[in-house]
Amino acid sequence: MTAVAAPPSPRIDTAVARPSRSRVGTVVRSAASAALGVWWLAPLVPMLLWAFADRWTFPDRLPRQWGLDGWRAAFEAGAGSAMASSLAVAVVVAVIATPLGAMAARALETHDIRHGRLVGVLLVLPVAVPPFAVVLGLTSVTLRWGIPGSVALITALVAFSLPYTVSVMRAAYAAHDLTMEEQARTLGASPRSTLWRVHLPMVAPSLVMSAFLAFLVAWSDYLMTLVLGAGRVTTLAQLLGSSASSSGHDSSVAVIAALIVAPPLVLLAAIHLSIRRTAQR
Amino acid sequence: MTTDATERRASTPRGRGSLLALPALAPVLAVLVLGLGSAVLQSVGLMPLAGQPAFTTSAYSALASPAVADGMRISLAIAAASTAIAVVLGLTAALLVHRIAPRRGFLALLAAATVPVPHLVGAIATGLLLSDSGLVSRLLGADPTTFPQLIAGPWWVGVVAEYAWKESAFVALVVLVSLSQRERELSEAAAVLGASAWERFRRVTLPLASPALVVSATLSAAYVVGSYEVSWLLGRSYPEPLPVLAYRLFTDVDLDTRPEAMAVAVLTVGVAGAIALVGTVMLRRTAAAR
Amino acid sequence: MPSTHVRPRRVGLLCVLAGASLSLTACAGATVAPPAVVDPATSWSLVTSAAQGQTVNLWMYGGDDLGNSYVDKILAPAAAAQGVTIHRVPITDTADALNRVVSETTAGRTMDGSVDLVWVNGENFRTGAQASLWKCGWATSLPNARYLDTRDPLLLNDFGTPVNGCEAPWHKAQFVIAYDSAKVTSPPTSIPELLTWAQDHPARFTYPQPPDFTGSAFVRQALYGISGGVASVPSTYDAATAQPLEDALWSKLSGVAPSLWRGGQTYPRDLTALDKLYSDGQVWFTMTYGPATIDARVKDGTFPATTKVLSLRDGSLGNASFLAIPANAAHSAAAQVVANLALSPEQQAAKADPSTWGQYTVLDVTKVPESLRAPLEARSAISVVPPFSTLSTSSNPELSATWVTPLEQGWRKSVLGG
Repeated sequence: MTAVAAPPSPRIDTAVARPSRSRVGTVVRSAASAALGVWWLAPLVPMLLWAFADRWTFPDRLPRQWGLDGWRAAFEAGAGSAMASSLAVAVVVAVIATPLGAMAARALETHDIRHGRLVGVLLVLPVAVPPFAVVLGLTSVTLRWGIPGSVALITALVAFSLPYTVSVMRAAYAAHDLTMEEQARTLGASPRSTLWRVHLPMVAPSLVMSAFLAFLVAWSDYLMTLVLGAGRVTTLAQLLGSSASSSGHDSSVAVIAALIVAPPLVLLAAIHLSIRRTAQR
Repeated sequence: MTTDATERRASTPRGRGSLLALPALAPVLAVLVLGLGSAVLQSVGLMPLAGQPAFTTSAYSALASPAVADGMRISLAIAAASTAIAVVLGLTAALLVHRIAPRRGFLALLAAATVPVPHLVGAIATGLLLSDSGLVSRLLGADPTTFPQLIAGPWWVGVVAEYAWKESAFVALVVLVSLSQRERELSEAAAVLGASAWERFRRVTLPLASPALVVSATLSAAYVVGSYEVSWLLGRSYPEPLPVLAYRLFTDVDLDTRPEAMAVAVLTVGVAGAIALVGTVMLRRTAAAR
Repeated sequence: MPSTHVRPRRVGLLCVLAGASLSLTACAGATVAPPAVVDPATSWSLVTSAAQGQTVNLWMYGGDDLGNSYVDKILAPAAAAQGVTIHRVPITDTADALNRVVSETTAGRTMDGSVDLVWVNGENFRTGAQASLWKCGWATSLPNARYLDTRDPLLLNDFGTPVNGCEAPWHKAQFVIAYDSAKVTSPPTSIPELLTWAQDHPARFTYPQPPDFTGSAFVRQALYGISGGVASVPSTYDAATAQPLEDALWSKLSGVAPSLWRGGQTYPRDLTALDKLYSDGQVWFTMTYGPATIDARVKDGTFPATTKVLSLRDGSLGNASFLAIPANAAHSAAAQVVANLALSPEQQAAKADPSTWGQYTVLDVTKVPESLRAPLEARSAISVVPPFSTLSTSSNPELSATWVTPLEQGWRKSVLGG
């Protein structure tokens, strides 16, 4: 699944009430933690090494010559403009899917809508449908009807990010206190100012998280962009896919891979920090 | 999730609520109905690229070929193996973080950092790590001809490892969120009452974590069955997992293979749907058992 | 790193049927070249003036870094000087461009198509030609066509399909097999010898799996080699005569499979994968339709310095690739200006420079002013690849594109699945 990255559970120190642990247990736990740490980190190690390796022929354990050739090659292959396309696509998808998801979630959680259950199921259905199957069918329709590939691509990516934005926002609205909005209205606030000054600030952290998830769906996509973009939308993932199968230049492939990994992680860290800061205030 | 939802719901008119949900429903329905509808129509000859539409099930008869059967088998095997590993590792990680927190947040952090890594990147990274001439082989000073065939080998190790790698992080996060403070309290109460560690795991932790486990395992299995790029990059020439097979047929020279590509795509949707259905039933059971 | 060739993924019958059934009128108009009543010079000046300020959407395989950078840094500025902007559309597969043209044509966009110029050859050209998707007759009237040898077979037929002025030559290519002379001490000199060598040296030889371009080319080369040479293989596919040849080919290739890399249980996904196996020393042979890449890789140390090109007694496959203009192109005048520019001795020479792109020229060197001849035949100072004139002495004509599909499907069924 692309992602459901939620902040870790609230940290409350319960050490006082905890039964004492055996030393063996602690050792086993530490070993397991370390093993899992290696499990998640290991694949990134050769990628980072390769990104700075100018020459690293086979039996050598470490690069023979370090340098930035891979970066030069990646940017010559168009990593810069690919990054711009990736950003554009992902931002557009996030900007569309976040409010749509929030509105639907609000409708499902706080309004009594017709066939509410069905609507709820339909909105998360895309997570269980293989995207490749959908786009293989979709591309014939868009070509036949003359729908531009970019429009089809954005629509498809929005559809596949809505399950995430809807789920996050449903959780937010389920815990949302409507009385604040009602009080604001009673005190004479207009619907618009209630929305902007009471309602949205209350769900802002969840909005940010769902925008991040929608961004991620679009940012990570390979096959939908390949089929619907028909080679004309060159995102970083497209560039990575085509250079992995045609360049054989491991260092530039590693650099493009690193360029794909970095922005979401930076965003995630920024979101974490800002949420923590608002929580502390 | 919705404790007092019923009381709150009555306050607004019905029509407005539906209007609010409509903008989200529109793209989802458009994409699913048009995409799947056109795939189905093309698979039965009712939406030919050229010529007159004529209903035929020949594309589905072609599914009886060994290539499709082998593809189906390998797709299911990869999904089952990677999901099983992801569930075990994800649950372990969640429990470790849950129990050892607050001092060992780094596992949660790593899991949270792994989930946003696209599978395409994961596949390339796995290749650089596990191939005959990858980092592991280099560090061991192995001879590439005798190094185990992890990438493009008969056991699909690289493919399964990549999916398990990312999906285990996903499972860990979902389970972690679901294991609330309640688990810790109940578990400690059970410990005070003399329950062994295994009993506490069986009777308290697992039942509390199982809905999240079922949901995340279902999502990850359905995803793996319908995912293309990892098997394409790390798999072998034959058999081809369903998405790889469908995409090759889709881009083939021959017009005749288009309907077959669509039939394989429809079949994959069916398999993913069946997985989702099984997951839903299991979720009901675990919810009922509580 | 470049893989210097046109990718041959195709849309095949799609074009034929679409062209035949849905867009007869549009395509019929395109195949009939305008009668040459206008004086060529006048008509060319009409083309150039119509081209002013137009932007040409050049659709070409985008996985070739050197090719991309040649177009962006050398061809595009030269076109800009003639008032034409080049917008390079990188595609993963040439069939994407054809797919696009078919879809637009069937949807009724017969005048303002989004593809103006395509780098193409072989099967893609043939299917487009059968569906009358190409604008024809223009290529022979380009001013720079005067530097071409009008009897050059590679330029008259594109994988067996008559060119008929429906595409302008761009460059030539020669299929070569390279080996590490430090490890292969007595190199084979024919395909049967190569396969015997493979049997004697388990796991040291393999080829990319068709439909990879290079893998398909190897299978065609093997067909010539095993059938007893070019003369024994009919250039157009015919199931009845092909059957015995195919049977012999598949039995030979399946027979050698257990001795290939990984016992022939799997094959490198593409040429990149094979090159990697070669540079890691796992296999001792690689192959390519773009020999310039070998020099480049030896130079940057990816390939061992002891790499040599196998000299095949019976010669090897040769082809030319072209620039074609779809009949529905929105900017066909500007596309012709670019195609003409690409044929100029200056551009051909720049492109032939191994450090730029290393693509062999299509020009007849004897027709080019003497001052321009030397750079056309440029090779890097240290080259492991023999000059093109040597490579192409006994060039094998490419099989007709009709062979490509049966060979790829037969290989999958009889060698991979068998």
